[in-house]
Amino acid sequence: MILHNYDLFEDCYRVRLLASCTNQALELVNVDAFPGAEEKSPAYLELNPLGRLPILQDGDLTLRDLSAILIYLAEKDSEQRFLPKDPAARARMFDWLGFACRDLALAAEARAVALLDAPGDVASLRAKVRELFRVLDDHLTRQALKGEGFVAGATPSLADLALFPAFALSRDFNLDHDEFPQLRLWARRMRQIEGFITMPGIPDYH
Amino acid sequence: MTQTGWVPVALSKMIEPGTSAGVVAEGAEIVVWRDTSGTAHAWEDRCPHRGMKMSFGFVRGDHIACLYHGWEYDESGTCQYIPAHPDLEVPKSICVARYGVAESGGMIWAHLPLGSEPAAASELPVMEGLRSLYLDAPLADVIAALGAERTGSMIAIEHAGVALRIGVQAVSERRSALHITLPEGTPDSAKPMLLDWCEALRRQVEAREAVA
Repeated sequence: MILHNYDLFEDCYRVRLLASCTNQALELVNVDAFPGAEEKSPAYLELNPLGRLPILQDGDLTLRDLSAILIYLAEKDSEQRFLPKDPAARARMFDWLGFACRDLALAAEARAVALLDAPGDVASLRAKVRELFRVLDDHLTRQALKGEGFVAGATPSLADLALFPAFALSRDFNLDHDEFPQLRLWARRMRQIEGFITMPGIPDYH
Repeated sequence: MTQTGWVPVALSKMIEPGTSAGVVAEGAEIVVWRDTSGTAHAWEDRCPHRGMKMSFGFVRGDHIACLYHGWEYDESGTCQYIPAHPDLEVPKSICVARYGVAESGGMIWAHLPLGSEPAAASELPVMEGLRSLYLDAPLADVIAALGAERTGSMIAIEHAGVALRIGVQAVSERRSALHITLPEGTPDSAKPMLLDWCEALRRQVEAREAVA
C-alpha cells in the first residue's frame, strides 16, 4: 500500500498511526505540500482532483477520503482490533469517527492557518474547536463513570485513533489542554497502545 | 474579588502519578504535577531556561523535565540535570518558583499568590471527585447562579439528594472552574444526573454571559 504523505499534515499522521497500530506496512511517498503545494500539481490532481492529502493506493484502488482510508485499513487489519463486533458498539464507534473526520476537520484547519499559511481566522476556529473538545471531554467523563476509558467502549477503537491527533496537536494553534482533564487522561492511555507513534508536534517522551 | 490563600486547582484523581497539567488561577500559570511516589507539586509554569511551560514537559520519578531541552528539576524546584552538559554540576541558583501545595477533600490546592507564606490547609472530609467544570464567566456570576454562599474557596450545596462540595477557582477575570466532589459511597446511579446538572449549569451561566 502506498500513502502519499506529508509528515506535518495531521490527516496523514492519522493514517500512519492506524497502520502502525495494526502492524501494516505503508510505502510512504513524501509530497512537498508546504511550501511546494505539490498535491495541487497536475500529476497529483490526476490522482485526486480535490488536491488534498492523504491519498492511499492499494493496487487498483485509490482512496482520497480520510474516513474511507481509515475504515479500509481497519478492515484490512487481520485482527480487525479497532472495529467493535457488536452492531450497536460499532455504530457508536462510527458516530465518533464522524465527529473526528468531519467536525474536527476544524482543528486541522486551525492548525493549517497557524502553522502552514492557510487562509482563515485562527481565533474563531480555535473557539469552535474548544466547543468540540468540551463535547468530547463531557463524553469521556460519562464513559469513565461506566468504567470505559475510550469513546466507544473499554478498549481503543478506530474512532479513538482518529480523534487523538486533533487533541494532541491543538497547542500548535494555541488551544491548551488545561480545561480538558478527561482528554488528558485519555490521551495518556492512547499512548499505551501497542504500535503507537508520534509526529512532529507530539512529544515522544515515554 | 481576588482569590488568595488556598485555591483548588484540580481534582486529585485527574492528576495521576507521573503526570503534569497546566492550570491557571487568577491569571497565574501553574504546573500541577504528581511524582511517581504520589506526592503533588504546584510550581510556576515556566522553565527558567527559555520560559517554556513546564506543563508541556514530563515527569521522571521525582523530577519534572522541560520539553524544550530536558532540564530536570527535583521536588525542591532546583535544577539537577542539564542534558546538553551532562558533566556540569548545575548551579543551585537555577530553580523554579514553587507554590504552597496541599491535598484535601479530593482536590489539589495551591496557595496564592506566588511567594505567600502558606497557612495550614484545613482538613476536609475525604470526597470523591466527580468532574472539573470550566465556565466562561466570572467566578462571582457562577457563584450567584449556584445560589449558594461561599466559605473560603468552598461551596456546599445539595442536588438530587447528594451533598455536593464544590471547590471554586477563578481562572481569570472572565473564566472560572468548579471542582465538584461527592461524598464517598454516592451511588453510581446518581452520577449521570449530576453530570447533566453540570452541563446544564455551564450552558445556563454562559448563555447569561452572552446576553450581558
